[in-house]
Amino acid sequence: MGPFLEYTVIGLTVGSFYALVALGYTIVYGILRLINFAQGDLSMVGAFLGWTLLVSFGLEHLPIYLALVVAFVVPMLGTAVVNLGILQFAYKPLLRRSLLAILITALGMSIFLQNTAQLIWGGAIQAYPPNLLPSSGIFIGDVHLTYVQIGLVVISLLLMGGLVAFVQGTTIGTAMRALAVDHDAARLMGINVDQVIRLAFVLGAMLAAASGVMLGIYYVQIQFTMGFLLGLRAFTAAVLGGIGNIPGAMAGGMLIGLLEAYTTGYLSGKWEDVLVFGVLITVLVVKPTGLFGERVAERM
Amino acid sequence: MALLEVSDVHVYYANIEALKGITLEADPGQIVAILGSNGAGKTTTLRTISGLLRPRSGSIKCGGRSLVGLEAHVIVAMGLSHVPEGRRIFNILSVEENLNLGGYLVRSQHGLVKERKAEVFKLFPRLAERRTQLAGTLSGGEQQMLAIGRALMSDPKVLMLDEPSLGLSPILARSVLKTVREIANRGTAVLLVEQNARQALAIAHKAYVIEVGRIVLQGEAATLARDERVQRAYLGGFEAVGTG
Amino acid sequence: MIARLAGSRVGRVSSATRTQFDRVPFSARVILVLAIVGASVILNGDDYVTSVAVSVATYAMLGLGLNIVVGYAGLLDLGYAAFFAIGAYTSALLMTEAHWNFFATLPLAVLFTGTAGAILGYPTLRLRSDYLAIVTLGFGEMTRITFNNWDYAGGPNGILNIPWPNFFGFELNTQADFFVVGLALLAIAMIFAQHLDLSRLGRGWVAIREDEFAAESVGVPSLRLKLLAYVMGGMWGGLAGAFFATRIGAIDPTSFTFQLSVLILIVIVLGGTGSLPGVLVGALVVVALPEVLRQFADQRLLIFAILLIGMMLLRPQGLWPRIRRKPKPFYGLQEEEAGDVAARILREHQLQTEERDRRRAAAGHRVPQQSDALLEVEGLVQQFGGLRAVDNVSFNVFREEIFSLIGPNGGGKTTVFNCITGVQRPRRGAIRFDGRSVLGLRPHVIVSRGIGRTFQGIRLFKNMAVFENVMVGLYPRHHTMTWQAMLHTPGERKDELNTLQESRRWLGFVGLESEAGRLATELSYADQRRVEIARALAAHPHLVLFDEPAAGMNPTEKLELVGIIRKIHDLGITVVLIEHDMSLVMRVSDRIAVLDHGVLIAVGKPAEIQQNPAVIEAYLGREEDELDVEKAKGA
Repeated sequence: MGPFLEYTVIGLTVGSFYALVALGYTIVYGILRLINFAQGDLSMVGAFLGWTLLVSFGLEHLPIYLALVVAFVVPMLGTAVVNLGILQFAYKPLLRRSLLAILITALGMSIFLQNTAQLIWGGAIQAYPPNLLPSSGIFIGDVHLTYVQIGLVVISLLLMGGLVAFVQGTTIGTAMRALAVDHDAARLMGINVDQVIRLAFVLGAMLAAASGVMLGIYYVQIQFTMGFLLGLRAFTAAVLGGIGNIPGAMAGGMLIGLLEAYTTGYLSGKWEDVLVFGVLITVLVVKPTGLFGERVAERM
Repeated sequence: MALLEVSDVHVYYANIEALKGITLEADPGQIVAILGSNGAGKTTTLRTISGLLRPRSGSIKCGGRSLVGLEAHVIVAMGLSHVPEGRRIFNILSVEENLNLGGYLVRSQHGLVKERKAEVFKLFPRLAERRTQLAGTLSGGEQQMLAIGRALMSDPKVLMLDEPSLGLSPILARSVLKTVREIANRGTAVLLVEQNARQALAIAHKAYVIEVGRIVLQGEAATLARDERVQRAYLGGFEAVGTG
Repeated sequence: MIARLAGSRVGRVSSATRTQFDRVPFSARVILVLAIVGASVILNGDDYVTSVAVSVATYAMLGLGLNIVVGYAGLLDLGYAAFFAIGAYTSALLMTEAHWNFFATLPLAVLFTGTAGAILGYPTLRLRSDYLAIVTLGFGEMTRITFNNWDYAGGPNGILNIPWPNFFGFELNTQADFFVVGLALLAIAMIFAQHLDLSRLGRGWVAIREDEFAAESVGVPSLRLKLLAYVMGGMWGGLAGAFFATRIGAIDPTSFTFQLSVLILIVIVLGGTGSLPGVLVGALVVVALPEVLRQFADQRLLIFAILLIGMMLLRPQGLWPRIRRKPKPFYGLQEEEAGDVAARILREHQLQTEERDRRRAAAGHRVPQQSDALLEVEGLVQQFGGLRAVDNVSFNVFREEIFSLIGPNGGGKTTVFNCITGVQRPRRGAIRFDGRSVLGLRPHVIVSRGIGRTFQGIRLFKNMAVFENVMVGLYPRHHTMTWQAMLHTPGERKDELNTLQESRRWLGFVGLESEAGRLATELSYADQRRVEIARALAAHPHLVLFDEPAAGMNPTEKLELVGIIRKIHDLGITVVLIEHDMSLVMRVSDRIAVLDHGVLIAVGKPAEIQQNPAVIEAYLGREEDELDVEKAKGA
């Protein structure tokens, strides 16, 4: 029983990070039918911005709560700006063009982000301050659950909950959900569709950035290439849950996290990615609408 | 000066001229019917007025202010509401959420939104019964009511309806059109595109007939209803000629 | 092929000499250019330059392969490196473990790559393009990781000491040797690619790229063609992989990363997707530029990413765009009298019918009689969510009649068409054409059975000339194999000539022969409709379905349309029509069926339908409606 619980804990922790990134994919896809390839790399940017603040600027020496708040908020804002830039300069001009053109541009954006990050922060692995947070925790049976783990999962859940509350409870949030059905009808309600799309990009970026900082805190080591696999896993999670489906993306993220943990635990870390891709291909071939049904704009 | 003035509007789809100089007018409290066979340009006309399409030339004015070139959501703010063909309600949202979106422009004024929703529910009691239901589960007639109610949430000066009786049984269609009459009686100008010529002409004050992008007939509704040319347009003139 | 002829800039010569002369240009040009480039590089003598040149050639080979997948068939493949890897490893393993000669390993390398492509492609090529991109990406990564984890293949260290190729005793071991082989392969690939592009397959791919739905509905087997492109592209990548393995002498998983797949994509996007010279330019830029601008080599990916995005935004057609010459159609074809055309078509039609009856009788089936229904629709039900679009509809259409389906908007008429043509699967019901069920068949199969259609709102292939549109409609009728197209055999050339001739006949039939060379979008709406009709007729259907053919036409055009419908009828083809123009319907139909809210409310001759009270009520509403509302007005 021991290992299973341990893997489950790891899986849920990491899964919550995937869920955050998956939400970014799913919201954008639902509204625009666009895979924002750069989504995973946004997480990387967030991680590095956090690192810059904590290590380069020395904020790690501030009182811990202040440091954490800054380490989360500033990267979230910075990454939001980056994503808005991507939307404005790369995606918007191309939205009326062929799907192929948009996909290639999105891909280009991802590579651009990765290599710019390499230029700015170097190609080497960087590390978050390893003793930033206490490593103490509690024991459930044999499994050691650190406070950091619990804290990170709580923050993730709060962020996800915040998003859901926003999307269900506010009128603008409802407008965003409406965009995943019919753009023209939304316009006829007086909804400024461009503005709401920008909002979606901001939200997606903020969630990704938060997950990046959390990955930095959790795994300590970050590298400019981390966005690639992260993005693919998060996208798989989004598809698994049903693309465009917000609760689906959250569930999908958790499931992928668990799958990864069990594979690494019971099989070997070498086959983790193959399994995740296998899941992706299987889902797309067998049930492309995902476990919970997709929500994609029928009319744009 | 009429409330809504459309003047010599030309619209192109790629290289094809879909509207070849449309001119029409509507005044508060008036029901203006737009008739014509499929593909004639009725829907294109409404979509151009509401800003979903841009005209290549011509003018469109509401209350004296030009609408040409404005984005659709801005035109809504100027008092024009368009109920598109096929209703296009947000099927994954509830009835209430659909109505809330209709009041998007005044979303910060919660009291006003509540007030207007109450008005809509008074007009369409069936919707009140189903306010928390997902819009996609409503019947055709209820969806049509929702679409109209949603459009009314912005308290429009001009309401444009594209084939509201589409897919509805004759009884329901009659009921919907009766409601349209009530709306007009409150002072809203109504542009009504309809396939059901008789019913449309029965409630309209005046009508325009569009064929292949041009207005070929216009006048008082009652006069047009008796016009043989209108009959011919809709039922082939009753000449029975097959190939044998 | 005639299209090629007419498009070249050579002066007008007699057709025989022209055929011979024009067969040469592209191939000759390719060989000439490559020979010159090859000679100059080798004569230069600098081993480093030659080595770079071999790399360029390798990337160009990969680019040509990916070009078929992305440029021709329009499929975004982000895992092309997988094929490169499979080919390389297959060849390397056979050479190191089984001591095969390099050239002997080639067929196996190609076979394995092709098989892998087929296995992955078959279930996934029906996905929409963005999902397909991710799936292929996943496949690329899975392949690399598998090789990385597979000890027999050397794991992370890969395979070392791969021997040089041995050509009948002559060992190829200098860069110059490899360069010559590389150039030869390039030349072959380019020539094959060009032949494919201008063949029936190439047309099919363009049609799929433009409008897959329409292509499938006029007879192009879209899934099969996509699979063909994917597998062929893959096999070529495998070949390049084998070449790469023997040239470098050692391979490991780091040679086959996602980065490589992206680089190949950059090669073809920079050069211009679908453009053959563009691939060469792209390969040159991607390989040679970092060598020249050494100081930026580290940032080459960044620069490429910027170039990629910049290209998409500013010059999506690439540095050397694919040139689509507007060909002069019908050059060299014999003139035919209008009367001849109709008679010829009619005769062919009759022959077809007789042939089919003979086959049916021989197989023991009952031969259909003239009085039998051609199309039987029985108990058709279609539901979308809670909405019953078609509710238990049954009707028969008899041979050689003109049958119209009318009814108020939203009545379910197009849904019925969609069920008949295989676009949708009805919830319940039976549909039989010529005695055999067509339920559940894919649209292109139904076309080959003998049903053609046009669409509500015209769906022509916009970037093709008018006559090419019609030629796509002929896809099911001509049977050249892929290899014949690649080699441009005399058999294929004859087939293309016939196709051209047929397309001309049908354009003449609808009266548009003079517009044949124009781009489809340049025509008026009514003329475009006629092209669509010609395209539907090109496959020699026995039944045609026209969905609102008269929409958007003025009275004169509608009269012309009636004329065409009657001419089609005179050919013995059965016509089913959805229309809203009542006078047209009444004038042209033998029988009419009325559909209201998914229910068939009347079937009969025009005169009967006009008098039918249920029909009048459905369209105009009841008399009482008026009275009621009048009362309300007065109140």
